[in-house]
Amino acid sequence: MAQLLLDNVSKTYRPRGKEPVQAVKRVSLDVKDGEIVALLGSSGCGKTSMLRMIAGFEDVTEGAIRIGGKEIHLLPPAQRDVAMAFEGYSLYPPLKVRENIGFALLRERGASADIEKRVKHIAELLEITDILDRYPTVISAGQQQRTSLARALIRRAPVSLLDEPMSQLEPQLRAILRARLKDYLIEHKMTTVFVTHDQTEAIALADRIAVMEKGELQQFGTPAEIKQSPSNLFVASFIGEPPMNIFDAAIAAEGNASAISGLGPNGQPAFRLKAPVEAANGKRVRLGIRPHLIEIGANGSADATGKVITNHWLGDQSHICFEIGGCSVVGVPDKPVEAQAGDALPVRFPLGAVHLFDAESGRALAHGLGQR
Amino acid sequence: MTSLELRNISKGFKSGKVLDDVSLSVKAGEIVVVFGPSGTGKTVLLRMIAGVHYPDTGSIAIDGEDVTDASPEARGVGMAFQNFALFPHFSTFENIASPLEARETPAGRLKEQVGAIARMLKIDHVLGHAPRELSNGQKQRTALARALVAQPKVLLLDDPLRNVDAKLRYEMRLELPRLLRTFNAAVIYVTQDYKEAMALGDYIAVLRNGRIEQWATPMSVYREPVSIDVARLFGDPTINLLSCKLTVNGTGSITLFDRRVPIAETYAHAAGRDLVAGLRPEHVVVSESEAPDAIPFDLDAVMPVNVRSVLYLRGAKGEELLATVGETEAAKFGRGQRKVWVRFAPSHLLLFDAASGQRIAPQVH
Amino acid sequence: MNQISTFEKIVRGVLIALVLVFFLFPIFWILLMSFQNNDQILRIPPSLFFEPTLQNYLALLTGRLETTAGNLDIAFMRNLGNSLLLSTCSVLLSLALGVPAAYAFARYKFRLGENIAFTLLSFRFAPPLLVLLPLSLFFKQLHLTDTYIGLIWVYQLICLPLILWIVRGYFEDISPDIEHAYRISGHGWWKTFRKIAIPLARPGIAAAGLLAFIFAWNNFVFALILASAAKQPVTVGALAFVTASGIQYGQIAAAIVLSVTPTLLLALYAQRYLVEGLSLGAVKG
Repeated sequence: MAQLLLDNVSKTYRPRGKEPVQAVKRVSLDVKDGEIVALLGSSGCGKTSMLRMIAGFEDVTEGAIRIGGKEIHLLPPAQRDVAMAFEGYSLYPPLKVRENIGFALLRERGASADIEKRVKHIAELLEITDILDRYPTVISAGQQQRTSLARALIRRAPVSLLDEPMSQLEPQLRAILRARLKDYLIEHKMTTVFVTHDQTEAIALADRIAVMEKGELQQFGTPAEIKQSPSNLFVASFIGEPPMNIFDAAIAAEGNASAISGLGPNGQPAFRLKAPVEAANGKRVRLGIRPHLIEIGANGSADATGKVITNHWLGDQSHICFEIGGCSVVGVPDKPVEAQAGDALPVRFPLGAVHLFDAESGRALAHGLGQR
Repeated sequence: MTSLELRNISKGFKSGKVLDDVSLSVKAGEIVVVFGPSGTGKTVLLRMIAGVHYPDTGSIAIDGEDVTDASPEARGVGMAFQNFALFPHFSTFENIASPLEARETPAGRLKEQVGAIARMLKIDHVLGHAPRELSNGQKQRTALARALVAQPKVLLLDDPLRNVDAKLRYEMRLELPRLLRTFNAAVIYVTQDYKEAMALGDYIAVLRNGRIEQWATPMSVYREPVSIDVARLFGDPTINLLSCKLTVNGTGSITLFDRRVPIAETYAHAAGRDLVAGLRPEHVVVSESEAPDAIPFDLDAVMPVNVRSVLYLRGAKGEELLATVGETEAAKFGRGQRKVWVRFAPSHLLLFDAASGQRIAPQVH
Repeated sequence: MNQISTFEKIVRGVLIALVLVFFLFPIFWILLMSFQNNDQILRIPPSLFFEPTLQNYLALLTGRLETTAGNLDIAFMRNLGNSLLLSTCSVLLSLALGVPAAYAFARYKFRLGENIAFTLLSFRFAPPLLVLLPLSLFFKQLHLTDTYIGLIWVYQLICLPLILWIVRGYFEDISPDIEHAYRISGHGWWKTFRKIAIPLARPGIAAAGLLAFIFAWNNFVFALILASAAKQPVTVGALAFVTASGIQYGQIAAAIVLSVTPTLLLALYAQRYLVEGLSLGAVKG
């Protein structure tokens, strides 16, 4: 259980005959002892390259990686004392599942009874006790993935690296296995880094999330920070299901106060909010508000009227998509709302939930417009 | 007139019976979702409607006409595959145009129709590209365009969003119903994602072990699942399942977590049986402070999930319980690792027979 | 993996060089020999430096050989023509038969299908000598001895199994869903075969055809027994250089160079097809 530090790490691939590709650009991360960190981004953003560099399967082009203060980026993988669960499962075909899981423990020369116990315990956790005596080639993809995960977790290595650990999992098992995984990692204080493109998984499991895009670190913060104070437009629109509603907006002064207007697709105002906005007049900004913070069917003053397009009830929550001034807006009310396609609903955007972003750079300007 | 009707379809392979006496009908303009875990024959069902496989027994009728023995090209259905199945050596335009080309549509009209559907699906700017140059989202839309362009009476969608990024999948989930309704075809949509099923379907056919276990509207399937298996398939996190026994001593009650929970009279007919009580995580009320009737639990982990958070609870005897709370509420609980108190309303419990797995419906006298 | 030491790099380089020399040396030497006359070839010790002569090639091309013991007519160019004719026709025939058969094996799983396919492949394993005697008797009865048609027919034993097995693999690699999608779009099975299956398997068909050509070209035994001098390909024709007056090494070398060049060039050209990707990204994963 150790601290992991990435210091200005860069990775450039130079395929022969083609342009060099910068997969990772000067990323620095500090993972505290016992912390669970997610590397989140869409495919090609550099997250898998980062993980492979920490594991030792890729060279570090620039920068350093330290575990517990010791530089490890020049050591071969076997000497780094990290455990890795691969996306391609990479199980040993001639060994049974049980032997695959316990493989690394053999190196540590524990008593075989003790190894048995630990294998059984982790298999129970990941619901693979019934396949312990089967071979990797006859089990399903989801079971192979769980075996690979078990093999990495059982070692309780100082640093554990998980590459898309639950992508193949049956949806019904996901919630409970995530819960048990998180419990296990917390209980054994395991420093863990995992890669995923599924922001739901990142938010559920991680203490902090490193959002990456095109090789650059966009934001590194807790799920709450990332949801409530996204550092730029990319993070704001990547995180959350449903994702944040984003509008083009224009700010205009009105006497002593100022107002910000959300703009429709043709540039015409779709709604107006009176807000103290310190940005310059007419500056191009974008406005964001998360779906569940939109007040639908508000009793008080409404900011706009939305025409319902779809109302999906998903069992424990509703997702309503409506149209405001030509914009498509999604809201998640906290109680089911009786509304059908075509109905008109009053809608309010609480100022505290409004985020402002610079239209050109995407950088966040304000999280929440206070009332004065 | 119903556009699509399947009667008593059965199909077996060497490995076993994949479909067993399946019947369903879909009207024009209706979306029926065939939902079930992987390998349950959903894809085989779709392919039989398309004509790629033939059923062992049973009949298939499109618009009243029996097509059970007809070859695929004669059926006039449109199909979008899970892995896109685009023609790699044709351009996007030619891929979409293929059904029209088969019907010998004159070049002018063909170009017009392909252009129109490409614009509708926002891929008109990549019509000249080869499939390998497209992103997954674009490939999926191309597959959809190809299925829709000839305005088929029956539209078959085989888990089209499966191989698409989570973000794009959500967008399509909002867009698809609108899109499909403009075509007025009878739609069968296959998926393993219950949220997609509930969002898209007018009706859901839950297919398990080759049979339709439940056929109902999304709300009915969620609120009145016919069995434990169906209840487990809908809802995230999965429904909590707790073994118990109903005893009637004046009033009926079951014992959960060492507490007596009163059960309505309407369930009295289930007395003495081994039962499984189902409690959905959103119905578990968790508070930081002790309350009368509340049961103490250890909160071992907190997992924020989009708009809500999942709380992983362990009871005094190690029983696992999952609860969901709103995002702001969850903030109170931090990283977990503390004691909490749990309550729930008995009316939210779903009772299932432990042996058969079937839900016990309340009997009103 | 990182950090391959310089030592390992050197060792790797040396080993590769050794293997290359081992395989390429004979070809290199023969090339040299083809530009030398008999005296230079047989000189001991052999030397890399000599005055090259085109005498050997001229002899082959004109068909006349002047040796110390007298003049000889050489039919090498005709042999070359025979090889070309036999190989090309055999390959074309085996493609016409084999490609549809490969498709049937790939797509329609019928009982005994695997057995039949394997039986057809086993024809490649069997040494030609096994069938030669019965075959020559049959040929005499059918009046097929010493005919191009007879030889082309027999060459199917070499070409057909190859085409079947290679092309079947390529057809199997095409996701069936692509063909299903084409049929559901409204096209019949023959159009699907022509417009989807064949174009997508084209790299495989080309590769199989090229390989079959090379194997047919190299065949020795069938042509030796079942054809006369007029219809013999280069493989058999090379024997003519072993004359009563001595072995004409120079001409043999030149003949070998001329025989090998077409197939060598074809093989180099075919590499591209063999490496060409198959799925071409139209199917996920």
